[in-house]
Amino acid sequence: MKYQLVSGLETHVELATATKIFCGCTTAFGGAPNTRCCPVCTGQPGALPILNKRVVEFAIRAGLATHCTINTTTHLDRKNYCYPDLPKAYQISQFDKPLCEHGYVELESGKRIGITRIHIEEDAGKLVHESGFTFIDYNRGGVPLIEIVSEPDISSPEEAREYVEKLQLIMRYIGVSDCKMQEGSMRCDVNISLMPVGSTKFGTRTEIKNMNSLSYIEKAMAYEYSRQAEILDNGGEVVQATMRYDEHTGETSVMRTKEDAQDYRYFPEPDILTVVIPEEKVEEIRASLPELPTDKLKRYVNELRINPANAQLLYKYKAVCDFVEKAISLGAGVKNTVNLTVGTLYSKLETEDDKERFNLPVTAEEMAKLVKLADEGKINITLAQKTLSKMAEEGKPVSAYISESDLAGVDEGELEGICKKAVESNPQAVADFKAGKEKAIFALYGFIKKATQGKADIKKADAILRQLIMK
Amino acid sequence: MAISEKEIKTLARLARLEFSEEETKKFVPEFEEIINFADSINQQVEGDTASIREVTTRIATWDELREDEVKPSLPSEKITSNVHSDNGYFAVRRVVK
Amino acid sequence: MKSVIKTLSEKLRSGQITSVELTEKYIEAIKRVNPVINAYVHETFEEARRDAEYADRLIKEGKGTPLTGIPFTLKDNIATDGELTTCCSKILEGFRPYYDATVWKKLKEQGAVLLGKTNMDEFAMGSTSETSVYGAPLNPRNTARVTGGSSGGVAAAVCADIAAYGLGSDTGGSIRQPASFCGIVGFKPTYGAVSRYGLIAYGSSLDQIGPMTHSVTDAALVYDAIKGEDCADQTSAPVHMGPTALNGDVRGIKIGVAKEFFDGINPQIKGAIDAAIEQYKNAGAEVVEVSIPALKLALPVYYIIACAEASSNLGRYDGIRYGYRAANYSSVDDMITKTRTEGFGREVKKRIMLGTYVLSSGYFDAYYKKACLIRKRVESQLAECFEKCDVLFAPTAPVTAFPLGYSGGNALETYLSDVCTVPVNIAGLPAIALPCGKDKDGLPIGMQIIGKKFDDERVLDIAYFAEKSKLCELEDVEGGVRL
Repeated sequence: MKYQLVSGLETHVELATATKIFCGCTTAFGGAPNTRCCPVCTGQPGALPILNKRVVEFAIRAGLATHCTINTTTHLDRKNYCYPDLPKAYQISQFDKPLCEHGYVELESGKRIGITRIHIEEDAGKLVHESGFTFIDYNRGGVPLIEIVSEPDISSPEEAREYVEKLQLIMRYIGVSDCKMQEGSMRCDVNISLMPVGSTKFGTRTEIKNMNSLSYIEKAMAYEYSRQAEILDNGGEVVQATMRYDEHTGETSVMRTKEDAQDYRYFPEPDILTVVIPEEKVEEIRASLPELPTDKLKRYVNELRINPANAQLLYKYKAVCDFVEKAISLGAGVKNTVNLTVGTLYSKLETEDDKERFNLPVTAEEMAKLVKLADEGKINITLAQKTLSKMAEEGKPVSAYISESDLAGVDEGELEGICKKAVESNPQAVADFKAGKEKAIFALYGFIKKATQGKADIKKADAILRQLIMK
Repeated sequence: MAISEKEIKTLARLARLEFSEEETKKFVPEFEEIINFADSINQQVEGDTASIREVTTRIATWDELREDEVKPSLPSEKITSNVHSDNGYFAVRRVVK
Repeated sequence: MKSVIKTLSEKLRSGQITSVELTEKYIEAIKRVNPVINAYVHETFEEARRDAEYADRLIKEGKGTPLTGIPFTLKDNIATDGELTTCCSKILEGFRPYYDATVWKKLKEQGAVLLGKTNMDEFAMGSTSETSVYGAPLNPRNTARVTGGSSGGVAAAVCADIAAYGLGSDTGGSIRQPASFCGIVGFKPTYGAVSRYGLIAYGSSLDQIGPMTHSVTDAALVYDAIKGEDCADQTSAPVHMGPTALNGDVRGIKIGVAKEFFDGINPQIKGAIDAAIEQYKNAGAEVVEVSIPALKLALPVYYIIACAEASSNLGRYDGIRYGYRAANYSSVDDMITKTRTEGFGREVKKRIMLGTYVLSSGYFDAYYKKACLIRKRVESQLAECFEKCDVLFAPTAPVTAFPLGYSGGNALETYLSDVCTVPVNIAGLPAIALPCGKDKDGLPIGMQIIGKKFDDERVLDIAYFAEKSKLCELEDVEGGVRL
């Protein structure tokens, strides 16, 4: 590789507040056009913005979760530009005093991607161009966003992907956003420049706007890397430009160059007072943060001794983690809980969204009851899996499938009798076993399982069988 | 401070305004007069301009911020009552000759 | 000065007249007088008749306030649900908001009767009301003169008594200067004391709604009715909510006089104010000399900040959601440019351009940023003054009402006429303008009493001395209601 990729991301994350940033209209996705609007979010003359407290709170949460410092004296600014989706012809944003600054996100490798700043701002409306008309819907107008700006610390498309995934995970963990790229609640602008390997002087950068999928980010970056490399190889110069990525052709193209760059004429928003956030409030928010994904992963592997592959499968979904951790706290063994979750429940949680929300009618309490039966050998793992599968489908408690009598059903004496029958009716298997074929005993297990409808504890049966055969 | 016609054009574009050649010619001296007037502040000020946003207005406390409680929105007929609309959308024909 | 509101309110309460009858009298007077002075640009007589019926019910039920049943007017930049609100601009032609400004909502609840919306400079940008798309209102005291501006329509309507009172807005003197030109009382409250919700913005950090009335008593009554914190305007602030007490006792008060306010003003105006100060002294007030060196800079600072904010505030007029839309265009972007080019008047365009310029990259630090710094300096120098005195006395304007058409050829001179009023907006202070004499042409001279932040009631009380002691009695203008 002749050139080093240098990349920084600007990530917009829609905050999961109930109302818009400056008015009481709902932020719910969808809705008939212009039905989630009022004078404030449609820029009616004389209407004034009133800042939503939770927006500030969520932005601080996001800042603390990415190790930022919080500017406790903060104000908003106007970013002036004219576009039909922006009803006031300015976006209320933050310019010189973002709420959060100087943080980082840690990748698996331990590398830290610096966070330059996180600021709050409002989303724009939606345009539809159709049959000679431009139609405008302001339902999304005024939905709160945070913009997370990274340092140019990213050096490959894979790192960019991991960085975005980590951000997604963090934002979901702390409950500030669902970060659904396909619904537009998370989107990225990617800055890319190249410099000769070993150099420290950044090249001219381009910016690819509005990426809404992880794989597009990777593909667009790879394309842009080779495009810029080719220019440099031919002795040319990269032109500073804003690009768009065409997902069909897989190519980037220029939207505008530096010459027609916008002049946003930022100035302090006079309609909103400077806010002083009490230190205690920041500490209160800090104290309310859940364990962060990286910490959880480490704890799962190092303290709970969950195997790394399973730990990876679990930690991405906070709702699943909450479920597992609660079951464990109720006395369920770690190993069976994790295996049953990853094995049985994940097959019922088909989509990412299902896992995100742990969309199953199984409570941690019932899970704990079931796992404890398995832990104590009262039911074998196969029955536990089958039962759990039914519970997930039907939403009934453990007791609906396994009764006390079932558990008491196979006592020692009865089991011994069944084992005897197994030995008697399978002479060939017994002979094979005696001849040293360990696996031959499986045929006897099968007989016992069948005879007890799976209720027998195979470990105990195994001990009895061996005694009988060796007699 | 002299303002060129080109600068006037750039500003006009930012402000989404248009001035004909003739209007621009007439506008330049008028604009210069007011800019020079505004410029009088520059002849008289020393000192730092670093922190511009100190207490010209009140400072808001945390409790003054709005609680995140949904208020009913307005029907789209109201929202679009002042212009042409189509199925609840604000509608602008892209070209009218 | 006579309290028209008190007089009318007593007649209404005692049953001598109903609000419906009173309203018809005003409507009849408007029909007679308005064609001459062009004060009203949108009449809301149907609304007024409904309001009057409601008011009569309130009075009958004993639920009236001093403003119940009294006909008034709003400047055309204050939003009224279902009624035209156009800022006297082509770009807002036909615009009917579907929400009420907080001040109108408050007055409506008390049974105030809205007669119509009054003339103003387009988007409140001007000092003569001549930039109105509907043509200038005329000064009822001399129809060859301007009313002043930008709340010229309210001033003319109140002066001619085709409204008992009105609400104007004041960004750099737009309540006080026309009040002085027309010889009425105009009060600009402390920034934040009255909600701006529904006031169509010009310079958001400077704009303030306030009463324009026949007397100080009326100004206090109207101020009491509209003041107070509003959850729809975050910049509004809590204030004392009881009625303003007016005693007019000025014994022991300290009147500050800053020579910078009197530099270059018409000697007749200086004479009238000196005479007024003499009367206050005779009643026991003390005069202290103070200095505000940065005062001269307030004017360029005002134009920079107001225009910067305006260039942003007026960006929204793009023909998409309300108001005028250009008839022919080649793209949506072209529609926006043509709409704005055709919809805004010259003065507005000039200020948008100036505001765009001072905010643009390369000029921001030299203009906007520096203006904010000087703003702070003006504010702190004024605050220092108030450590030495209770109120400042100053002229409202360095001149009396201009001849009609004069400002067109004298743009800068017209701008300079705001020199005495803008420092008050820059610092967010309360100030009242009241008549204190006449010049040799018989035109009213106004003086200002300026107080410290949130000292609105004190300012009113000190001004009330002038009313109580009949410091200046201007004759009534013929033609109005005058009950």
